[in-house]
Amino acid sequence: MVDPIYIFIIALAAAFLIGLVNKLNKNCASFLFYSSLLIMTYITGNWLIRIMSGASGKIIYTAGFQPPFAINLYMGRIESFLTLWINLVGLLSAVYLYDKFSKQKFYGKILYLMLIMGLNGLVMTRDLFNLFVFLEISSISTLALIAFNDDYQSLSSGLKYGIASGIASAIFLLGTIFLYHQTGTLNIDGIYQTNALIGGKIGFITVFFLIAAMLVELKPFPANGWALDVYQSAENGIVAIIAVANSGAMLYALYKLLPVFPQEYLQYIAGVGILTFVISNLMGLRQKNVKRLLGYSSIAQMGLLLAAVTFLIIERPDNLRIGYIIVAGIFLSHFLAKAGLFWISGIVKQQDVKNWAGLKQHTFLFFFFGIFILALSGLPPFPGFWAKWELVKHLFSNQLGGWVWLILLGSLFEALYLLRWFIHSFQPGRFKIDVDNIKYSVIGIFGIIAIFMSYYTSTMIPGMELTYLLPVITGLVFFLVDFLPVKLKAALLMIFTGGYLWYLFPELNMLRRFFALIFLGGTGIQLFGTFNIGKKRVGFFPLMAILIFALANLIQAQTTIQLFLAWELMTISSWLLIMRGRRSQDPSLLYILFSLGSAFIILAAMGLYYDMTGSVELLPLFTSELSLWIPILLSVGFLIKIGTIGAHIWLPGSYAEAEDDFTAIISPVVSKAGIFGLFLTLILFGKQHLAGISWNVILGWLGGITALAGAFMAVFQEDIKRLLAYSSMGQLGYIVLAVAINSHLGWVTALYLAINHLFFKAMILMTIAGVIYRTGTRKMYQMGGLIKKMPFSFISVLIGIIALSGVPPLSGFGGKWMLYTALIEKGWYFQAGLSFFASAVAFLYCFRLIHSIFLGQLKTRHQNLKESPIWYHIPSYIFIAGVMAISTFPNLILKPLIKTVSSYFPASIGIEGYTVISSLGYWNGNAVMLITMGIFMVLLIFMLMRIRSVTRVGQFNIVYAAEKPDKPETTHVAYNFFAPYQKALGFMGKSRFINFWDVVSQWSHSLSAAFNAIYTGNAQTYALHIFIFIVILYLIIGVR
Amino acid sequence: MEQSLFTAIAYAILSLSAITVYGITLNGLVIKIVARVHGRHGPPVWQRFLDIIKNYGRRRSVAHGVMFFMGPIFRLAGGIGTYLFIPAILGSAIFSNFSFSGDLLLVMYFIFFGQLGMALGAGESGHPYSPIGVSRGLSQMTAFELPFALSVIALAVQYDTFSITEIVMAQQGGILNWTLFTNPLAVGAGLFAMLGMNMHSPFDIVIAPQEIPIGPPTEFHSQYLGMLQTNRGLFTAAKLVLFMNLYFGGATNFLELIIKTFFIYMINVAVGVAFPRFKTEQSIRFFLKVPLLIAIAAILFVSLT
Repeated sequence: MVDPIYIFIIALAAAFLIGLVNKLNKNCASFLFYSSLLIMTYITGNWLIRIMSGASGKIIYTAGFQPPFAINLYMGRIESFLTLWINLVGLLSAVYLYDKFSKQKFYGKILYLMLIMGLNGLVMTRDLFNLFVFLEISSISTLALIAFNDDYQSLSSGLKYGIASGIASAIFLLGTIFLYHQTGTLNIDGIYQTNALIGGKIGFITVFFLIAAMLVELKPFPANGWALDVYQSAENGIVAIIAVANSGAMLYALYKLLPVFPQEYLQYIAGVGILTFVISNLMGLRQKNVKRLLGYSSIAQMGLLLAAVTFLIIERPDNLRIGYIIVAGIFLSHFLAKAGLFWISGIVKQQDVKNWAGLKQHTFLFFFFGIFILALSGLPPFPGFWAKWELVKHLFSNQLGGWVWLILLGSLFEALYLLRWFIHSFQPGRFKIDVDNIKYSVIGIFGIIAIFMSYYTSTMIPGMELTYLLPVITGLVFFLVDFLPVKLKAALLMIFTGGYLWYLFPELNMLRRFFALIFLGGTGIQLFGTFNIGKKRVGFFPLMAILIFALANLIQAQTTIQLFLAWELMTISSWLLIMRGRRSQDPSLLYILFSLGSAFIILAAMGLYYDMTGSVELLPLFTSELSLWIPILLSVGFLIKIGTIGAHIWLPGSYAEAEDDFTAIISPVVSKAGIFGLFLTLILFGKQHLAGISWNVILGWLGGITALAGAFMAVFQEDIKRLLAYSSMGQLGYIVLAVAINSHLGWVTALYLAINHLFFKAMILMTIAGVIYRTGTRKMYQMGGLIKKMPFSFISVLIGIIALSGVPPLSGFGGKWMLYTALIEKGWYFQAGLSFFASAVAFLYCFRLIHSIFLGQLKTRHQNLKESPIWYHIPSYIFIAGVMAISTFPNLILKPLIKTVSSYFPASIGIEGYTVISSLGYWNGNAVMLITMGIFMVLLIFMLMRIRSVTRVGQFNIVYAAEKPDKPETTHVAYNFFAPYQKALGFMGKSRFINFWDVVSQWSHSLSAAFNAIYTGNAQTYALHIFIFIVILYLIIGVR
Repeated sequence: MEQSLFTAIAYAILSLSAITVYGITLNGLVIKIVARVHGRHGPPVWQRFLDIIKNYGRRRSVAHGVMFFMGPIFRLAGGIGTYLFIPAILGSAIFSNFSFSGDLLLVMYFIFFGQLGMALGAGESGHPYSPIGVSRGLSQMTAFELPFALSVIALAVQYDTFSITEIVMAQQGGILNWTLFTNPLAVGAGLFAMLGMNMHSPFDIVIAPQEIPIGPPTEFHSQYLGMLQTNRGLFTAAKLVLFMNLYFGGATNFLELIIKTFFIYMINVAVGVAFPRFKTEQSIRFFLKVPLLIAIAAILFVSLT
């Protein structure tokens, strides 16, 4: 058991000896350098393990005297934790900088050792003046190391750093002097005990000086211009240390001093932290320089950490572990990810974020880059996610809820620029890098630690169970077998999905079973379509596995954490899958932005729920005693994910540009996740009223308008996938409307429409994916006449659009019949009219799509086209069978649905034989099918009897008013098909909401630029900022 | 069903034949009337029958493909189906058809069945003007469907049912019980929609008789054209029967059916001979103005009384 004092002894000795040994042998000096770092790491690691297994901390006395006559240090739980990480990153960064260190003079090594030692001291010391000394040691070493690069920028930013830390140190020293005057002791524990002596105005100023000085060191807004220049210019390995180790040590030093600060003013400190967090992230939005961007993120994260620590002091959590999770979670995600990102950018060397395009080719770096970005954005399963979850719960349950919105806003900004960077790296491009195995291994180590810490943190969350991580585990499994060929992986995933569905089915209640069928069954069948593309399709199947199992978790949700974790995992995996499309990078940014916005709103609602109920269990609560805001927030979050009007602008781009077979999965299946959420909300919370209007009425109108808007916008599209995307939006609007009716028939309708939508949309999209695969284009006017070449595709699409438009005898009509009946029963006459109109408009795009692609004239270049591969047809024909089954025998689906919804509402429709009877009318789907088929067959036979008189002619052989048609291309009517409609009602199809969101985006950017103007680059200005910050903080807190 | 399957089919065939003959005769009669209004002599009333027989009798025909072949089948099946789902004469076993299969909503949506099939067949003809006609037709259709749907909703609210039989029964017992007098706003909207449905002037741009001498009427011939012409008679009559049931008290015997539907059709014809043609965008906008307002007023009227 090594006494921690040896950390300092070894560091000092090594620093001293390096200078001497270097003259003899450079390699010996290096050896000395690295081994001392290694030993320091070992010592602290050993202490951490001992303390975690129950040993108590150790006070280290120096100079043989007791404090306050001599300095003492303390190695406790937090100290060992922090110093281990500091030493570890010190060691790894030193390894990273190996070639830099070997090229330069030995001074660098000495300074580095001193820096690390100083940080250790900052953490461990219990004496105020000693704190100051270590502060100075760290600052001076940092200052010199910043100039390691030896260029103009580094030197000038080093100077700025020196000015800033000089001011901070000076003020700190003043505070120390005043404090000693009042309490007579410099020992921190002694100061705690004599806290009462620090009183009055001078007492306040004393403490204020100390706190303010440490705050300045933490780079608060607006006094952080100097820090950003440092981040931008210093050597990456050094910046990594500054960003994570320096900040961590400084924060802990501040934490040691906080108990002497008047507790009633602590919220101002938190406010500084939150302000820094939000504004730094806002400013990061416009940032194109990689290192500066990481600088903004670092400053922001430390602000958040500062605020979190302060909040936890203001309101201590009942379970101390929660406090540790929050702080450690934020700290670690920042620590590991930030260091990793700085290291990676040191290798990539591209300064502009856009020039990172092409990183995908360097697989190792790309993988860890992705891990670090996701970890930093606070996404599961990384520690930052768990910390955020607990922090939100803690704040809401302690009347600090208002801060949550600011934290979420800042997080949204941060996620935006980080993920935008990641998207850039995914784009095609090319740049060279020098492969350096040493640097790679350093990055790899931190990446693996990040993954491990994620697991470890997740086990400590209350309410958390291992099964919730099933998506991640399955994802990992498929990641490991990613070398297998596509067909094998797809088959494997289908087996897993089917097996899990089989296992899960008996455990669920009827409503959840239904959604299980949609999610797992639907995806399983659609996976057939993925058999066609590519040899290995690296990355696709792990992500699909995560998506599928996240959906499975979602429908099992019994606790809020389970629901939210599944929701976020579904969001991330679907985003990464969308991003794989060739031109989907920009739309995918919109997708993740809106999805995260929706997730954050849901998070806030869950936090409020925890505040109200004190538990994470989702219980069925039929009283509306809970806050009105919870169901409304939840509904808004789910509506955004469904793509309701107003928040739908992400939908067309994402669905259209994603890979074709993936669109066939996300559109029919994943969009229903929001529907499930809506059901859950209405079941749990019942009816709500917002300012006198029933929330259901608002929901209903939103659904109806979405249906109309989606249909209208689909009519005018030339791109088949965009048309189908808008069509999905419209169809989901119907489902939302049906759910909002909140009656037995309404919910039966909603579920019926949901499964119908799965059938026909999956059918159409998968078939169209095959068509696009063969023709190579997505524009409908470039296709045409394909019925002869692709008859099977034609049949699938035909059945699909008949089911979509609701024409009897197919299943779509049943849905429409029930919807109108339900609406009239409810008294929602105008919504019924709106739905009718939307349904008629849907007819337009249905016809457009089938005519433009399959009928009309065949283009010359498509003369030799073959039918699309069978893999696209297998799922389609399975769904055709499904449609035919429920069209001919509606009872197959209606009886289970009626029974399911009866648990929530008394039944209002009944079935006699094959006839469904409602309070307004009746429908016999079986009879309709038989009669229609009967008539059809009779006529067909009649015509077939005369078949011998029919001569087949070519498609181009038409009566053209005595002229000859020129080319198929000019004879096929498809472009601007509904020109008269466009003239009459085109104004309804224009997207106004894009303008709205554009304005929001521009304002954010302008605000960001306005704040950015503070950073002039002038060192004196920055010094002035620091002074102004201190003065204003003082004035705000108020001289009382 | 109390009747056996054979009886049902026999009745259906009987009912269909009756209405088809009536429909084709009605067509011929209207052509004669319009001609006389124009100052011409006009073809004989039974000319349409001769046309149909001639077309069916042709020995040769030409097709572009399967869908082309199937288009008229869909169309005629749609017409037959639409008629068979409407109870034509109240209380008559023969003329109740297959109305047990579904209510008014079924009929409204089944009208699309025939249109869809026809549109597909027309598209397969390869002729560019066919889809232009379809595009116009569909656009117009969505426009007039809105006031019609709202009018239907008003009816459903007023009579508390979607079942056509019950709507007719509620209108028995005197002229003043007709929807025409109990809910004139709904009838007004419905009649506007009917003008669009039957595609007489001013809404006949879809087939644009004088302008586009090509498209479905030209591409389809022989038995295809025969089926389309049969359907024209049948479908017209079916729609008229529907309107009669909804707005004018239904019919209790075949004579009453003939008289009422004839006069309803005359509304169409009268408007048709007096007005010039709208362009498609004009007709779309037309329906979304006054007829829509009347329909909305109809709903407000029933929901407030």
